[in-house]
Parts: sequence; C-alpha cells; structure tokens
Amino acid sequence: MEIINGFVDSIVGLFHDSGLMVLGWQNYVMILVAIVLIYLAIKKQYEPLLLLPIAFGMLLVNLYPSIMAAPTTTLQPVTEYMAEHGGQAGSYAITVLNGVEYYNVPEYGGLLYYLYQGVKLGIYPPLIFLGIGAMTDFGPLIANPKSFILGAAAQLGIFITFIGAIFLGFTSKEAGAIAIIGGADGPTAIYVATRLASHLLGPIAVAAYSYMALVPIIQPPIMKALTTKKERAVKMTQLRTVSKLEKIIFPIVVIIVVALFLPSAAPLVGMLMLGNIFKESGVVDRICKAAQNELMNIITIFLGVTVGATATGEVFLTAQTLGIVVLGLLAFCMGTAGGVLFGKIMYKLTGGKVNPLIGSAGVSAVPMAARVSQKVGQEENPSNFLLMHAMGPNVAGVIGSAVAAGVLLSVLQ
Amino acid sequence: MDITEKLITSLTVLLTGLVVVFAVLFILIGIIKGCGIIVTKFENMVKEKKAQKETASAKPVAPVQQKPVQVTETAESGISDEIVAVIAAAVDAMYGSSGKARIKSIKKSDNSRSAWSKAGILDNTRPF
Repeated sequence: MEIINGFVDSIVGLFHDSGLMVLGWQNYVMILVAIVLIYLAIKKQYEPLLLLPIAFGMLLVNLYPSIMAAPTTTLQPVTEYMAEHGGQAGSYAITVLNGVEYYNVPEYGGLLYYLYQGVKLGIYPPLIFLGIGAMTDFGPLIANPKSFILGAAAQLGIFITFIGAIFLGFTSKEAGAIAIIGGADGPTAIYVATRLASHLLGPIAVAAYSYMALVPIIQPPIMKALTTKKERAVKMTQLRTVSKLEKIIFPIVVIIVVALFLPSAAPLVGMLMLGNIFKESGVVDRICKAAQNELMNIITIFLGVTVGATATGEVFLTAQTLGIVVLGLLAFCMGTAGGVLFGKIMYKLTGGKVNPLIGSAGVSAVPMAARVSQKVGQEENPSNFLLMHAMGPNVAGVIGSAVAAGVLLSVLQ
Repeated sequence: MDITEKLITSLTVLLTGLVVVFAVLFILIGIIKGCGIIVTKFENMVKEKKAQKETASAKPVAPVQQKPVQVTETAESGISDEIVAVIAAAVDAMYGSSGKARIKSIKKSDNSRSAWSKAGILDNTRPF
C-alpha cells in the first residue's frame, strides 16, 4: 500500500511540475508561432540560418521557461543544512541575519541563460561581424567610393522611424532600439537593442530578420514607384580593377576614421574590418576560414537560439510587439526610399550615369538587397548587370548602419 | 514626455544622426578616393621603374636552342603517349632551362592515399 501511495504521489508531483500545469495560454500561442516560423524557415527558406534557431529557441523557452532562468541564491540556516547533510558543513558564503547564520546556497540558471550572456554583454554581434568581414569583398565600394552616399541615405529610415516610435509612446531608448530595424542588419539591431531596450530584444530581432527575408517582396514596389522606366534602364560603366594594396588599406582607413569620430561604433566596425583584413591580407588563410565558417556558424547557433528564447509569451504577445512590427516595416520602406531617392539625385548629377535602383541596396541585407537591384534592373533591360554596382552601396550600408547604431548609442545611452 | 519634448528629442536625433552618418561616410569617400589615387600612382611608378630596369639590363642575346627533355625509357604499360607528353612538358616547364632534365621512367603510384586524404593532410600540416 505504501508503495502505491508513493507511486501516486510521485505521479501527481510530476504532473504538477509538468508544462501542462505551468504554462499559460500565451506560451501555447507562442509555441504555435514558433512552429509557423520553423515551417517558413524550412519550407519557404526565409533566412533559415537564423530563423530556424530563433524559432526553435522560441519553442524551447515557451515549453520550458526555466531554460532561460537566471541563477538565484537561497538562504538556508546553517543548522538546518548540517542536519540535512549528516552534520557536514557546507562550503558556501555565510550571511548573518538577526544573529542566525545562513548559507548562500546557489541555484544554477538555465542553459540558455548562460548562452544568452553573449548577447546581453554584446559579444555575439561583433563576432558575427568578424565573420561577415572575412566574407565581404569591399572591392566594388573601393572602386566607386560614391556608393557610400547611398549607404548613408538608406539609413534615413532609421531616423524617421525613431520619430514615429517616439510619437507612438515608446521611450527614447525603446524608439532607438526599434528604429535600428531600418538598418536591415541583424547583428547591429541585436547589439543596439541589448544596449538600449533589452526587454524588446525578442520582437525586434524577429521583426528585423523577418523583414530581411522579405526584402525581395518589400523593395521592388517602392523602387518602381520612385523611378521612371528610363532611369531603371540605365546601364552603368564597368568598375575599375581594385589592387590588393587598396583592399588592404581600406579596413585600416575605415576603422581609424570610425573609431576616431564615433567610438561607440568601434566594436562593430572594428570586428568587421578585422575580418576583412584577415581576408585581404592573404597571409592568415586558416584564421580567415575559421572566422568565415566555424566561428560564424557557432555564434549564429548561440545567437539565434538565445534571441529566440527571449520571446516568451508574456513579452511577445503585447500591443508593443504589434507597434514594433509596424514600425519595423516603416523603417525598411523609408530606408529603401531614401536610398532610391539619393540614387535619383546621383542620376541627375552624373548626367544619367548612375542607375537609381542601386540606391535601394544601401539598406544592408547583404547580398539580398543587391540581388533585388539586379533583378528589378534586368526586368527593364535584360542585358543590364547592376549586381556589382549594387554591391558597393550594399556593403556601404553595413558600415552606414553600424555608424547609425553608434550615433543612437551615443545620443540615447 | 509631452508633445514639445517628443518633437525636440525626435528632431535632435534625426539631425544628429543624418549629419554624423553623412559626415563620417563623406570623410571615408575622400580618404578612400585619395588612397586610390596615391596607390595607383605608386603602383604605376613601381611598374615604370621595373620596366626601365629591364630595358636597361637587357642585352641582345643570341637565341639559344634548348634541348628538349628526353624520355629515355618507355613508360609503364597502360600509360598513354599523351600522358607521357604532358609529364614531359611539365618537367620541361620546371627544369627545362637547365638543359639537364631527363625522365628515366614513369610509373603509376600505388594509390595508398586518396586525393582527399592527401588534401586533408596538406591542409592540416600547412604551417600557420
């Protein structure tokens, strides 16, 4: 009889500890959202490298919230502890309260809590930038440095969205974190969000990566609406060849300028340029490959899963998330429009030598945004190849959004 | 925040952001353009100097008839003449100028390691 009672008690205890008793309705909704995102990542291949770990992290945290639990300390009277442990003293720190000695018994946090420290402390995004730098060819930008103007113009969306967010009732720090979605750069968005409004990280990261995946759908209508047929058909002259020496000098010059004028952007731009000098120097092939592959892949897993794990039901299912989704879309659209409009100005100033379509690539989202410029250009003129011309503003956009992030951090932090 | 405060914050960030982003990127345009011009000039100068040196040191030399690489023995059976010709051409390209290169025999390797395995060893043993 005692065995059966013990068995029943154990089963009841397990049931009370199970997710069925602990989880709220918000968790179940988020589990459904996570499954939809997993479907989109696998079936539709929407940024699967990031969306899949993000969605799975979301799934995990909503099934087992303690996986993101922070470590805690419990105060246990020393006498009670020793009685429980056969008279043996513990090796914990002691706190004395009202003359009674207590042990500070630590309780460890969840797995993802520890992995999340890399996001919280701003470690993962710069490391991702290191990998991006090791993979990026800045040649088209060096060949045509004017592309920087388009990379700057496309950051317009960030600052206009900031105004929208302020007027929607967000605090200035929250507005800054939301506005950076317009930079179309995942690591930058995460970096700024953790520094300015870490409680909004989940919705911001999901919105940023979702819109980046939707670049081929969001951008073309704006590009076509703002340009004429004649402008879209412009063929650009071939870019000059860039020497190896120029490619080696580039990362050094960029980091000197950015770190001197805007130190808050130095961690992101610094790592980007470090990765790039690994690539261009040609003398650290093994390190370069490690940055491009192993390091990048490991950090992507940690970043994706832990960012997804911040999207718990209570945090995600709020009116604020809806606001972030709408503002993120506005930021993307305004960024695209800013780039194209400056492209039009360059078209006029150069006497029709610049195709304004390359301006939309200034919103980062490498290389998707450049591919969109190529595709829209070829629709108008099948013999037109804008890809390499669009890569200039595209990589300039990465630097531009990191600089914009530095401005937001300097002004708002 | 009241409306005025919101407006002031928004416009401050908008103005600061746009001015700083454009200023930093304009500075980069200037420096990179400058670097491009200097590097191109420098590389052209180096090329010109090299060309000048070459023309100065070049003396009219009578064309030397080089001996082609000789294949002294027949290759192992199963190796076609084309393969022998390709190997002879490669050896000639590497050592032909010395005039002493001679292929004595051509044998198939025992293939104890696959090409992938060799590539792996090469990749892992290459120094930093």
